Amino acid sequence: MKVERRAEGVLQFCALVSVFAAGFAAVLVRFKEEQIDHVAEHRAAMASQSYRYERVSGERGRIFARGMETLAGNSAAVDIVMDPAFFATMPRFARSAPQYAGDTPEDRMLAAMQMVSAVVGRPAEIDAAKVRRHLKTETSRPMTVWRNLTVAELARFVEHGDAFPGFATASRQTRTYPQGSLAAHVVGRTGRDAPPPAPDGSGRGFAEMEICGRDGLELQYDEYLRGEPGEVRTAVDARGFATRREVVDFPRKGPDLVLELDMSLQRAAESQLKGVKGAIVVLDPRDGAVRAMASSPSFDPNDCTPVFPKALYDKYASDPAKPLFNRAAGGTYAPGSTFKPATALAALASGFAPEYVYECTGAYGAGDMRIRCARTWGHGELDLVHAICESCNPYFCEIGVKTGARALAEEAKKFGFGEKTGIDLPADASGSVPEPADGGADPAGAVRRVGDVAQVSIGQGRLLVTPLQLARMVGAIGTGWLCTPRLNAALPAVRKALDVPKADLDAVRKGMFMVVERGSGVAAGAGVAARVAGKTGTAQVGAGTHRRKNTLFVAYATPAAGARRAEPLALAVIVEDGETGGATAAPRAGAILREFYGGEGA
Amino acid sequence: MTGVRAFLSRFMWVQFAAMVLLLAAGSLALASAGEARGGAVMAGKWKDALATAAFAFAAYFAIASVDYRKLLRLFALPGYIFSVVLLVLVLVAGSEQFGGKRWLWFFQPAEVAKLCLVAFIAWFWGGDREKDRWRFGFAGFAFAVAVAGIPCVLILVEPDLGSVMALAPACLAMLLCAGVWRKGLLALLAAAAVSAAAVLGAVHEAYRPGTPPEKTAAIMRYVPLRRHQAMRVKTFLFPESDPLGAGYNLRQSKMALGSGGARGKGWRRGESVRRRLLPPMGVMNDFIFCVWAEETGFAGSAVLIALYALLCASTARAAIVARDGSGRLLALGMATLVFAHVYVNTGMTVGLVPITGLPLPFMSLGRTFLATTVLGLGLVQSVSIHREE
Repeated sequence: MKVERRAEGVLQFCALVSVFAAGFAAVLVRFKEEQIDHVAEHRAAMASQSYRYERVSGERGRIFARGMETLAGNSAAVDIVMDPAFFATMPRFARSAPQYAGDTPEDRMLAAMQMVSAVVGRPAEIDAAKVRRHLKTETSRPMTVWRNLTVAELARFVEHGDAFPGFATASRQTRTYPQGSLAAHVVGRTGRDAPPPAPDGSGRGFAEMEICGRDGLELQYDEYLRGEPGEVRTAVDARGFATRREVVDFPRKGPDLVLELDMSLQRAAESQLKGVKGAIVVLDPRDGAVRAMASSPSFDPNDCTPVFPKALYDKYASDPAKPLFNRAAGGTYAPGSTFKPATALAALASGFAPEYVYECTGAYGAGDMRIRCARTWGHGELDLVHAICESCNPYFCEIGVKTGARALAEEAKKFGFGEKTGIDLPADASGSVPEPADGGADPAGAVRRVGDVAQVSIGQGRLLVTPLQLARMVGAIGTGWLCTPRLNAALPAVRKALDVPKADLDAVRKGMFMVVERGSGVAAGAGVAARVAGKTGTAQVGAGTHRRKNTLFVAYATPAAGARRAEPLALAVIVEDGETGGATAAPRAGAILREFYGGEGA
Repeated sequence: MTGVRAFLSRFMWVQFAAMVLLLAAGSLALASAGEARGGAVMAGKWKDALATAAFAFAAYFAIASVDYRKLLRLFALPGYIFSVVLLVLVLVAGSEQFGGKRWLWFFQPAEVAKLCLVAFIAWFWGGDREKDRWRFGFAGFAFAVAVAGIPCVLILVEPDLGSVMALAPACLAMLLCAGVWRKGLLALLAAAAVSAAAVLGAVHEAYRPGTPPEKTAAIMRYVPLRRHQAMRVKTFLFPESDPLGAGYNLRQSKMALGSGGARGKGWRRGESVRRRLLPPMGVMNDFIFCVWAEETGFAGSAVLIALYALLCASTARAAIVARDGSGRLLALGMATLVFAHVYVNTGMTVGLVPITGLPLPFMSLGRTFLATTVLGLGLVQSVSIHREE
């Protein structure tokens, strides 16, 4: 009986255990297939389901003036962000809290926002539609709810924030311009834009709007300043909500930019332009380093960042004074008498002697045109040096017409007129030098009549130059070198020798020194501890009731005994709607030079 | 032999060791999954499971030391009736969760019913075949169909297809071993196989790629499956058909398990549970094996299967030494019940079995199931200890 029962048990045990063995073997075979044979596929599938990539921008390089005064820097704006994952994966019991009541993540987020806005003290910048869109398209990313917290708002949030899990503060890089409107046209401004695509087309995932240059150096050196973007990898759950964020590639800060600008000169230049329209450029004539570049009216780039408010932009855009426009490098003006040194050099090159004498009778007749001199009854007989000093129109019309339009145009081009200066700024205008009419080809705006040639020789008519070009010209007269102006101190100095005999230059310089010593430009040299050579200019623009006068002064200065600074300077001042070059522009130049070199009354 | 010495020498140490090791593995997996779920409540669930196991093991030793025949005589019939009453009660007054009524107060009656049904069959058909001849004939067969059918149908109504998929094989194995009218049982088995094949065939036809939706609807009208069950069968047949819909769980469970590789990602480093790639509600229950397999790799899943094999084999081994039929049936029944749970639960994660909700013994957080399993295995321990010398 017992044996029989035992045999039955053994039989049934064996049968059952073999079924178990078969079952477990089948399961193990499948495990081996999935875990050993297909492991790579499963890992790849998990990775693609699990990660989102996001570009993060590096800190933007700063911009410094000479002496490391900050022109453009960075600071952090504090935002409050919400973590959608928290509200989507909240355990049921947690939803009993009133701030997290709601059936959907969207409802809960809106309810919580309502509560937190009482703490922050202002309503959220987000509505239901935005929440929906964020949950749909940027599920894995935190959602910014309040931007640019004030200190008081931040303090309130930090004090009460513990009661609202799911909210956090986040800092965001913003561009600041500690000097305000100082050198605003040089530094430029920034906006926000989608980042440029990666050169190798490897861009993937999200990319937040980044700070980008819109004008000035910020635009010119945008790529340089940006630095290298990094990448953040977000591990997400099955619904796309973030579970972990990690930096896979740290962003690298953009290199800083150090300028040649001299802040004391820049401040002096801008203070001289207060309340008027105009521009001032100060260069180091030896290597083209821009020491000051002012344009008025100006603007504060802080008001235009991170985004240009539309109302402000419209106000600027409709302002006839064009505050956003860099007159110093981009404004084109008739140079007026400040062009006369170039006319003189052209005449000297074509065979005139500095001793050439012409009798000024107060006007010059050129065909059917009568060009009047500044002195109604004429200067009488004078030579070239005195003609420069007195800025005698008929003398320069005479030698200009005799020299010819072609030679004048070529001389102008020697000084870089009619072409861009090559400065590292987007606003680099070329101006225009009128070409003489050639028998067949007759370009529009060509110099055709004798009167036109006479106009060009005294810097009027179709001749247009920028203040930067003028400063470069006067620097070239002073040193014999034509420099490419530059703002970035890291750029190599580029200059070429002026193709003008030294004797000719000396004659013109002599006249220009005389202008400041006892001519129309005395205001520029009075009490300045430097030797200043200059030329005033007053250009008639417009016609009829719109007739206005742009007043100019160009000068180069070399330090004299007792000067504070040992560098030579070349400068150009233009004030629109002034009285005369001598009365309006020259005193401003004098003030700037006094500021730099020191002297009486400085 | 005196009591204590007999107890110690006849105690199935292999079974006990396998249980303890499995429980340890389960605690590790539950701790990892609970931590990943977030919150102190979930993170501490593994301690709850261990506390339940501690009480259950106390009862296990108590049961093992009492003669199982006495227990069966006293409790098999009332236990069976009680469990059926509970199954009816859960349908009337149970709390609803995830579209099913499975919970009564703090426990799941279906798990209680599994143990009671196994015990009842062992008690009723464990007697002498010559003495109670009718029990093994046609009448007995009919009675068996009713006895096993009532709880099975009640559990199906909950609905809890998985539990029936584990319980039915155990009942069938016991009745076959008991020697109840074999022709009937085999016919029943054949009928079940044929209808299962018919359902599979119909679903296959209905969802074959390129089938127009009208035809799918027309076929599915005659298939006796609820919609979610039909979808699971469809996924079983066409695993790649709908990775974001019905096939989502299978795809995710295979990915979790497969990405573990040979050695695994390390304890508490499972990504699918940490990134909620697996259904969060299932990671501590039906999908706990995925957590274990991902973190320990093929090595860990093979060790786990080996432990289950040891547990099942040692439990079934009591059938050889059992002093009577009911002891033998108890051992075979409990071994089959455990095996069926393990096979269905782990098989579904790799597509061997359609996805269905079923706990994994000693690993899942189901505390009712943990307790009843330990108690049932205690009964088998008693069979081994109270053997005939």
